[in-house]
Amino acid sequence: MRGAAIATGAVVVLGWPWAAPRYFVFLASLIVVNSIVAIGLNLLSGYTNQLSFGHAGFLAIGAYTAAILAIRASWLPLPATLLAAGLGTAAVGLALGVPCLRLEGLYLAMATLAFGFVVVEAILNLDWLTRGNDGLHVPPGHLGPWALATDTARYYLVVVVGALLVAAARNITRTRTGRALLAVRESEIAAQASGVHLAAYKTLAFVVSAFYTGVAGGLFALVVGFLSPDSFDVFLSVDFVAMIIVGGLGSIFGSVVGAAVITTLNDSLAGFQNYRPLIFGAILIASMLFMPGGIASALRRLPLLASQTPGSASRTPGSAPRTPGSAPRTPGSAPRTPRQGDDR
Amino acid sequence: MITRAMLLLLLAVTLSAPPVAAQQGVGETEIVLGGSNSFSGPLAFTGEQITKFGVDLYLRVVNDAGGIHGRKIRTVYYDDGYRPQNAVANTKKLVEQDRVFAIIIPQGSPPVVATLEYLEENKVPLLFPYQSSPVTRARRYVFQGMTLSDRSSKMMIDYLAGQRKYKKFAVLYQDDEYGKSFLTAFEKDLGRFGLKLVAAESVKREVTDVSAQIAKLQAAKPEVTFLVLVPGPAAQALRERQKIGWTDTLMVSTGPLTDERYLALATDAAEGVEGLSLWPDPVISDLPGVRLYREHMQRYFPKNEPNRYSLAGYFAGMLFVEGAKRAGRNLTRESLIAALESVKGFESGILPPLTIGPDHETQKQGLWVRVEKGRFKPLTDWLKSE
Repeated sequence: MRGAAIATGAVVVLGWPWAAPRYFVFLASLIVVNSIVAIGLNLLSGYTNQLSFGHAGFLAIGAYTAAILAIRASWLPLPATLLAAGLGTAAVGLALGVPCLRLEGLYLAMATLAFGFVVVEAILNLDWLTRGNDGLHVPPGHLGPWALATDTARYYLVVVVGALLVAAARNITRTRTGRALLAVRESEIAAQASGVHLAAYKTLAFVVSAFYTGVAGGLFALVVGFLSPDSFDVFLSVDFVAMIIVGGLGSIFGSVVGAAVITTLNDSLAGFQNYRPLIFGAILIASMLFMPGGIASALRRLPLLASQTPGSASRTPGSAPRTPGSAPRTPGSAPRTPRQGDDR
Repeated sequence: MITRAMLLLLLAVTLSAPPVAAQQGVGETEIVLGGSNSFSGPLAFTGEQITKFGVDLYLRVVNDAGGIHGRKIRTVYYDDGYRPQNAVANTKKLVEQDRVFAIIIPQGSPPVVATLEYLEENKVPLLFPYQSSPVTRARRYVFQGMTLSDRSSKMMIDYLAGQRKYKKFAVLYQDDEYGKSFLTAFEKDLGRFGLKLVAAESVKREVTDVSAQIAKLQAAKPEVTFLVLVPGPAAQALRERQKIGWTDTLMVSTGPLTDERYLALATDAAEGVEGLSLWPDPVISDLPGVRLYREHMQRYFPKNEPNRYSLAGYFAGMLFVEGAKRAGRNLTRESLIAALESVKGFESGILPPLTIGPDHETQKQGLWVRVEKGRFKPLTDWLKSE
């Protein structure tokens, strides 16, 4: 059953550019890019309960790193550029993660929020490198002899990278590391008592999250083709948080669904012009009220779908979310949403 | 079996594809225009005024009178909230999904510049973008709307240094593309008079406290201080100057800033401020086109106050209609471009007679105004930038 679902999904994803109009190929690329960010953010917030409102900042660092490398070091192969974007952002994630170890809940949210602003200011002030507010044109990437000049070519690049990162995330969450991260979320004291090195795992979550977002930033630069500090405002960070809350905290499948829903919503609401923020907000509130565990857990509760939903294979329907007392939290920790576990 | 199914599928796809139209966005009875604009974010007010109460106002008048060569004009707008990536997505959607004929009056340099390459590649006309960076000059598929910053600067310096014989100039500018493009233009134009800026202070975007910058500028003792800002901080700068009693400098606002909203924020601190206005006064001007604009506004949107933004959009609508009329019943993107390029001495009743040259700029002038009793009073006729 599950294999069939995955195979169907793969066929749909790979056949998309031939079936869908051109614009939806572009939109799908954006969805995949946002999914990668959402997975990265979920590894941090959903798994270790460290809330970040600064992921637009990480995305900006990745995007500008990739764009500047593509302009100044155009001989560099594309995979290396993307890897550099990821690693550079991960290094910044490490630098931010270490001081953030001392912060929790709202204070951490504040610190990451400030980080987002600092990145935008840095881009503005490094205008010899980033061209500041004039913005930066990103040349189309080259993969060997092929120029990624069309939406379809970029879509396939994004899908391949996305698939690799989803697979990696699933592996991380299923191993000792993933269980340790979850243990940290459930109770830091209990996790420590069981031999989980708190500082190391919390920092690791920051670094991995930043890496994912950095790679996504590199892809973002290629897909959109133009970067400006205005691209990475605080509301983009809020969008990312909305993606994982709507999709489901602590779920990779949920991250992808959340990214798809929020991206599509943002796009389809653009036509409502000044009512867009209002409708968007109302939908978010409604989904928090009626699907507190996110779409991933709501799907799991539907008995019919439960057996088909990737990520729910080993779970009996109805057993997962909202078990009272399943999540003792540290005082002062962020929103009290019932969460589901990982994608085991 | 599989091959037959695939062939059938292919056939179905081919047949269901729409027949190749003469021109995308131009139907038997309809012309579709679109634009990505700010309906949320820092420029939401401007975005709404230039589109719904500007372009659409003029187009409603035209549609109600029967349209252009039997076709009514419909507009589609999407909100980008001033984010370039959203502007790119919206513009692709407009071109590929809504199949618009042309893009009209998108706002802000970053969102507009982000879509420039895509539109040129796809040969979609970009009509009258509402931004002042010279990057849009002299491109085949672009007709620039707002007077560009280098032209504004030339008119301001020629008038102040040439006619009024001022010698010491300073600038308070917003630290972005808008501010910097004016700063470099001022330096260049002052150079022609053998002058230099005596001080230049920057203000970060969305910062409202400018007291430190005002104190520094006062110490440099300029005769003229340019304000290259947006309404909020500019009004703050005027109030700060009033507070510290700095009277021996002439405050001058740039074209994009000279509007009623900025006056309303600064109240009596704006008295005596001068500036370059890109538009005649929308409320009191007696020009025939402006009077007609007020009548139309009163007829269709009686609750919306006339303002420079909706007037700018109204003018953009008028110019498109002029081009489409000249292009005739066989309207294509190329024929529209040729038609707009043929515009010579066009009387709008709002701006001076318009001739569109190879630079594709549709506005090149401004007039000098001074604030008296809370309104901009014209001091000069139209100034020229050529």
